[in-house]
Amino acid sequence: MVAIAAILFTSCKKDDDTINSAEAAGKATISMDAVVGTNDFALNTNFTANGKTWNFTQLRYWVSNVILVNAAGVEYMVPNSFYLMEENTAVVTNSNFTYPAGKRENIQLTDIPAGDYTAIKFSVGVSEKYNNNLSLQAGELSQLNGMTNVSWMWATSYIFSSLKGTVNDGTTTKTIAVETGLNTNLKSVTLSLPQALHISSAKESTISLSADVAKITDGVDIMATPTIGASQAAEMTAVAGNYSSKVFTVKSVR
Amino acid sequence: MSAAYVKARFVLLALLLSTLSCKKERVNNLNLDQLHPEKLAVPGNFPAATDDPDNPLTKEGIELGRLLFYDTRLSGNNQLSCASCHHQNIAFSDATVLSNIGVSGKILPRHTPALINLAWATSGLFWDGGSTNLESQAFGPLTSADEMGQNLSELEFELKQVPDYQKRFKLVFGSEINSASVVKALAQFQRTLISGDSKYDQYIRKEAGANLTDQEKEGLSLVDSKCRNCHAGELFTDDRFHNNGIDADFSNDSFEGLYQGRYRISYNLEDLGKFKTPTLRNVLLTAPYMHDGRFSKLEDVLEHYNSGVKVSGTTDPTLLPTVGKRGILLTAKDKNAILAFLASLTDNTFIQNKKLSNPYHD
Repeated sequence: MVAIAAILFTSCKKDDDTINSAEAAGKATISMDAVVGTNDFALNTNFTANGKTWNFTQLRYWVSNVILVNAAGVEYMVPNSFYLMEENTAVVTNSNFTYPAGKRENIQLTDIPAGDYTAIKFSVGVSEKYNNNLSLQAGELSQLNGMTNVSWMWATSYIFSSLKGTVNDGTTTKTIAVETGLNTNLKSVTLSLPQALHISSAKESTISLSADVAKITDGVDIMATPTIGASQAAEMTAVAGNYSSKVFTVKSVR
Repeated sequence: MSAAYVKARFVLLALLLSTLSCKKERVNNLNLDQLHPEKLAVPGNFPAATDDPDNPLTKEGIELGRLLFYDTRLSGNNQLSCASCHHQNIAFSDATVLSNIGVSGKILPRHTPALINLAWATSGLFWDGGSTNLESQAFGPLTSADEMGQNLSELEFELKQVPDYQKRFKLVFGSEINSASVVKALAQFQRTLISGDSKYDQYIRKEAGANLTDQEKEGLSLVDSKCRNCHAGELFTDDRFHNNGIDADFSNDSFEGLYQGRYRISYNLEDLGKFKTPTLRNVLLTAPYMHDGRFSKLEDVLEHYNSGVKVSGTTDPTLLPTVGKRGILLTAKDKNAILAFLASLTDNTFIQNKKLSNPYHD
């Protein structure tokens, strides 16, 4: 499907070239640099944020429906855009088949129509059609990486995001497991770029974002609710809202 | 090495392997070169079934699903198949209140549902509808530590060791074996679990020689007037969720709301204590009853509706107190007639259908 789209697109581009001498489609990297406040995010490292000491063992979230908006307001939707961003240790399973430790902060986009882009949009989570049917394949969607229903008991769907570790408020240490999911919690992020980004075949562009992990549980009493899952509907909605409006900011574009 | 040589060698290998496997399996004589689209055999008195465009039925896909349904490779300990809890001779139920035969040995919190006419179950699977379609549903029991406890990567690895499976997946889905295709094949087979040839069906379709006794007809009339709000239509289920008054307190939110019914999926307070309506078809075979298997006999179920309905904010309105007494008033004679009618919903063709039986047994 991607190949077909690419071929179609390429052929359109050629027509444009002959008529308008327009530029060829370009590549871009979207970097989502995990941070805790002003510090770079790392696993098994103590961070102080919101008056507490945090130590994380896992950060994972699905990014989907990536859209680039040009200066005229025209949206280019990246086809099959499902990406699993993560920083985690190996996922323990009931078997010799484990999901390996990994760090992934970059998304590589190709065949972006040449133009001046002023905003980026994406969703944190998996859109309803795919969330409702785990047998549909698109992008990086997979049932094999521990980001599906197992911890959800019987609501068979994707886990949109997962943050695990511990938090200490000076007196008590709690193990945290903060997850989002369910169709109602699919939230989109819209970020304006500080200046228009020209994308074309002439250079490889980069959109650098920060993902502030300290903002994920903003406004949630994490000591009272250290586990956020399907049963903690209000807290889950709050976390999904944080991903939408607080976690991501633009660092730079070039 | 020429491509033709490789192909010839592959065909020879495939022939050899298919010959070997055919000794064990009743699924044979298949032309494994091409796919044959299949339509569900919808009984004349049933509503139309809708095809799933994302997983179109094929003869070969259904047969692959059947092989998988009965294959113990699907479980983590390689001792359980789907059929371990869904026995054909009792309409794909398990005659157990709460099963503990899963990999962990723990007692499951809910009763195994019977698998009947699932092609029409479009408002969600499981007692609370937590899975939107048969494909996704399969991942639940497959991966649950208390059921088949299978790691999906391990499942793919194990199935890839079987050349016959490699060939079948390639043909049906045009790809390597993967877990998405496993659940698609299982769903195709499960959509063929159609029960519509009971004595009642033959009567209602006016088939030659088919009739119900006077008592069975009286039972049908009672069911029509008292039970059809939930057990609706020719499927004898409305495929919806109801609180039928077996409990009044749903404040226990343990196990992520497992005892709260549909509420744990919808988070709508109006869904507290509501569970999926099971079909009345083959109901004499599928004891015990309710989502937790609490009633061992149909007589207990009828007595519940007669005198045992507990009232809470979400109890189905049709079961609420009318004049002085709650529930569905039934005399002893009514109950006997209803039981007689329910027996006419037993479908021996379904439970003996060779196309649905274990392909590994001769």
